[in-house]
Amino acid sequence: MLEAVQLTKRYSSIPAVQDLSFTLKPGQVLGCLGPNGSGKSTTVKMLTGLLEPSRGLVRFDGRNIQEDLTSYRAHLGYVPEEAYLYPYLTGWEYLEMVGTLRGMQRELMESKIDLLLELFSMRPARHAAMGTYSKGMRQRILLIAALMHDPEIFIFDEPLSGLDVTSALIFKNLVQALGKAGKMVFYCSHVLEVVEKVCTDVLILRRGTVIAHDSVANIGKILGASLENTFLHLVDDVDTIRVANDIVGVMRAA
Amino acid sequence: MSFSQCWQVYRERPFWRLVELFVERIFRGGGDTDAEGVDLGVGLVLTLLAMPGGFVSVLLFDKYGSLLQWLRGQLNVDTLLISLPDEYFFIVLSMTVTGAVAVWRWDAMFPDRRDYMNLTHLPISSRTILFANLVAVLFLAALLAIDVNGASCVLFPMVVSAAQGTLPFFLKFAALHAAAVVLASVFAFFAVFSILGTLMALLPPTLFRRVSSYARGIVVVYLVTLLCTSFAVPDMLRRATAAAPPWSFFFPSAWFVSACQLLRNRANPAMAELARLCLPGLAGVIVVAIGAYATGYRRHFVKIAEIADNAVTLHKPKFSFSLLDKVLLSTPFLRGCFRFVTKTLMRSEAHRLVLTGVSGLTLVLASQALMNAFQGTPSWREAALTPDALSIPFIITFLLIIGLRVVFEIPVEIRANWVFQLLLDADGQESEPLARRIILTAILPWVLAGTFAAYFYLEGLAIASLHTVLLLVWSVLLTNILLIRFCKLPFTCSLPVFKQHSIVILISFCFGYLIYAGSTPEFEAAALREPLRMLELLPLVLVGWYVPRHFAKSAIEIERRMIFEESAPRTVEGLRLSE
Repeated sequence: MLEAVQLTKRYSSIPAVQDLSFTLKPGQVLGCLGPNGSGKSTTVKMLTGLLEPSRGLVRFDGRNIQEDLTSYRAHLGYVPEEAYLYPYLTGWEYLEMVGTLRGMQRELMESKIDLLLELFSMRPARHAAMGTYSKGMRQRILLIAALMHDPEIFIFDEPLSGLDVTSALIFKNLVQALGKAGKMVFYCSHVLEVVEKVCTDVLILRRGTVIAHDSVANIGKILGASLENTFLHLVDDVDTIRVANDIVGVMRAA
Repeated sequence: MSFSQCWQVYRERPFWRLVELFVERIFRGGGDTDAEGVDLGVGLVLTLLAMPGGFVSVLLFDKYGSLLQWLRGQLNVDTLLISLPDEYFFIVLSMTVTGAVAVWRWDAMFPDRRDYMNLTHLPISSRTILFANLVAVLFLAALLAIDVNGASCVLFPMVVSAAQGTLPFFLKFAALHAAAVVLASVFAFFAVFSILGTLMALLPPTLFRRVSSYARGIVVVYLVTLLCTSFAVPDMLRRATAAAPPWSFFFPSAWFVSACQLLRNRANPAMAELARLCLPGLAGVIVVAIGAYATGYRRHFVKIAEIADNAVTLHKPKFSFSLLDKVLLSTPFLRGCFRFVTKTLMRSEAHRLVLTGVSGLTLVLASQALMNAFQGTPSWREAALTPDALSIPFIITFLLIIGLRVVFEIPVEIRANWVFQLLLDADGQESEPLARRIILTAILPWVLAGTFAAYFYLEGLAIASLHTVLLLVWSVLLTNILLIRFCKLPFTCSLPVFKQHSIVILISFCFGYLIYAGSTPEFEAAALREPLRMLELLPLVLVGWYVPRHFAKSAIEIERRMIFEESAPRTVEGLRLSE
């Protein structure tokens, strides 16, 4: 089980995340929603151990992950928001490097890479430099890198960005399948429909604090509305229809 | 109306706005990837480029000061005669710095895919983009010529004419010097630009990409050769009285210095012959550069979209690491990172360029040592045992080991290092063993094999073995010293900040070179006649072995942690009581 206990992160005394607590159990798919600047990326970085909390801790199977980050990360599959990759490495080489660094047995690693590349329709481009890849192709490489060592925890930060329709559909089903396979999935996204469809629970952040944390079904029941309307109700102070009309007005101004 | 106000009016026009955009791209980097380059800022770049000329001029006060000349007993000095080597050096410096900048900005001089994606859908003709970029390139050439030579154009004539003290002499000397260095600078820029343009015009885009980095490497080696021979060429030109030596036609710097001497009425027939190449050569490279640019632009920029579609075809590399995995790379860290580092070295253009420059310098110094070894020695066997010949593998290993160590500090796509931050054990202390394995496997096998084979053939087994073992021990010790407290994965950490002791390190490198590639072969040349004398080196070896180990042991835990960000030590550490 993964637990976040009163996680707080401050940048120069300005809080990015404050007193964030939740648990993520095997089989649970926890969606994390929030507008820009709500602390989603900071939360993800603390969960992956890339950022040390100013206060609070993340526990995995009862142990603070900061005590032994290396062994914690062996159980982790992470897809970051931005697909920053080494442009001169080929997709295959990148995956081989990640697999080697994870200490995977070579034959198993190579066969998994081959099969996953095939399933993600990346086989024809596997020996091309990643600098020539589209955003969606890079995203698929990151997904394969996160999946290939069969981790227990998945942390996806905007994983659908740039994916084509088919890959996105495959991915949505994959997340549900991972949940059913007993994996823990933390899923950050802006796309409310996807979160509503694939997540069992949802965590809504606003200005670094949790404003709602419940199952998707319960959140909808409480406010009697869809997740989109609930999100707007809880998070946004902006009248989106008025803003859209104002934009058209400015555009048409002579 | 001030210049900035005037420019504000001009930049309202699309063409000049494009010129501004392209100038910025040339300075801030281009290329098709989103790689985060080393962005030093325009001001800092221009200051750095202006510094060598200024520094060298100031250092020459010692040579031209009339009081110092008098103290040395140098009376009735012919200032123009003794200024020839310095004049030549400034011309070479001007060409080298400008040429190096042109090579560095090679990818950014042509509009790239980013420009294509951002500009072609706008109502701007392709011809406007072509001319705007050409104006930006011409602006860059002019700016470099002025910036690189500005300081030396003022300071060097002042230094030279200090003893003469007449204004007409100063003005005439300054005008000719300025003309020579500025034209040499322009020549170097357009020569590089014409090579780039010609390659683009002649080669299909995919082939151009592959050939491009090799061409840049060759240019870098040529520039290094020009710089390294700058101390010998003026004397050779002065002595060549009848006809210009054939090699001098391949040294454009010799054309410009000859033209300068011709206008000062100090040229011998050889110089007069070379001086005639100066202006036609300059006009030639400018014409070729602009012609090739226009053709290359048509072939590449207009077809960028097609290039993007066809880019995805490569073959799986055939090199296998399996033997290294079994012998040298025992842990996942070593296996994974060794592959990453070697591939980066082979594929990252910036790193290859630096290594090519170092290799060029190595080649020149090793060639000089070889030439010196044969001076006054009739046979190969005798020459092989001279300190100069013995120094060759030491020169090669010293410069290449230092070169690799320096290259490790240059980051590549720093934003992508998250994968290592996520996967590597920061407390594993494997960075140093990894770096050592990379340096030694990249350099030692072929240098040791070559050295042993050559000396075995010339001098027999005993001398070959002794020489090779000494080279091996020295290389390992040097590597160990260079990797003291090395706790990074090469290429994944931000650039080191300039520290106060950086100059000390630089001086230590020069001093180290003198010991490693100067004193050691001197000692070895004597010791090879009495092999037992080699034992005298044992205390030095033990010290060299002990010092890095001592530093490694004395490091506290935080100093052993792998780092991904190089930051200046804070003078004041906040207590963060509010958190």
